[in-house]
Amino acid sequence: MQKVKIFFFANLRDYIGSKSVEIEIPIGITVSGLIDLLVLKFPNLEKVRDSMMVAVNREYAANEQVIPQGGEIAFFPPVSGGCF
Amino acid sequence: MDHPTIISLTDADFHLDSILPQITLPTTGASVLFTGIVREQTINENARETVYLQYEAYQPMAETKMRQIADEIRQKWPTIEGIAIIQRTGRVFPGTPSTLIACTASHRNTGIFEAARYGIDRLKEIVPVWKKETGPRGEEWVEGQYIPKPGE
Repeated sequence: MQKVKIFFFANLRDYIGSKSVEIEIPIGITVSGLIDLLVLKFPNLEKVRDSMMVAVNREYAANEQVIPQGGEIAFFPPVSGGCF
Repeated sequence: MDHPTIISLTDADFHLDSILPQITLPTTGASVLFTGIVREQTINENARETVYLQYEAYQPMAETKMRQIADEIRQKWPTIEGIAIIQRTGRVFPGTPSTLIACTASHRNTGIFEAARYGIDRLKEIVPVWKKETGPRGEEWVEGQYIPKPGE
């Protein structure tokens, strides 16, 4: 197992009730494995699981990507910067 | 001469007058400057009034992606001289610029119009910034539509 810090932004932060959490995850877990684990831990995320973006080390990650040890992980909704 | 690139994610108002001189070179003869402004009244679909927008950013990744957009612009339009990309964070009230993309070049027919257009379109696709809209009836997160590809 490894301890990782996961950041949440926008409405996901509201669902989690916190900007970040530290959790134990198995070494070698993939992005989609981590999503499953988080939805289990935070059932609120179920309704947004298909639209969540995952960034690993500040890059958009693929579902099959393995979470690197000590990696910076962030979950957020599709971006909406700029103007309307 | 070095081609200046200004990337700024800021919680303070920015002033248009101060930006252009920073991306103007002795060889510059044209600039295109686009700003997104917080709109008070939306009159087409989903008509409503906006009291303010609250912008939130994943700062380190947002700055990385803004820099990536500047690189993409330079690859597509090598004649571009200066580039400024600015995004507000925090609370922004109607009538205030919340985003800016500015490009300079020697002449107007060098692709600068397209380059600035590309910059704002791309910012809305890949820069991790979100806005929450507050109106008379409460507040709501605005969600984007674009799903970036891995590594994009």
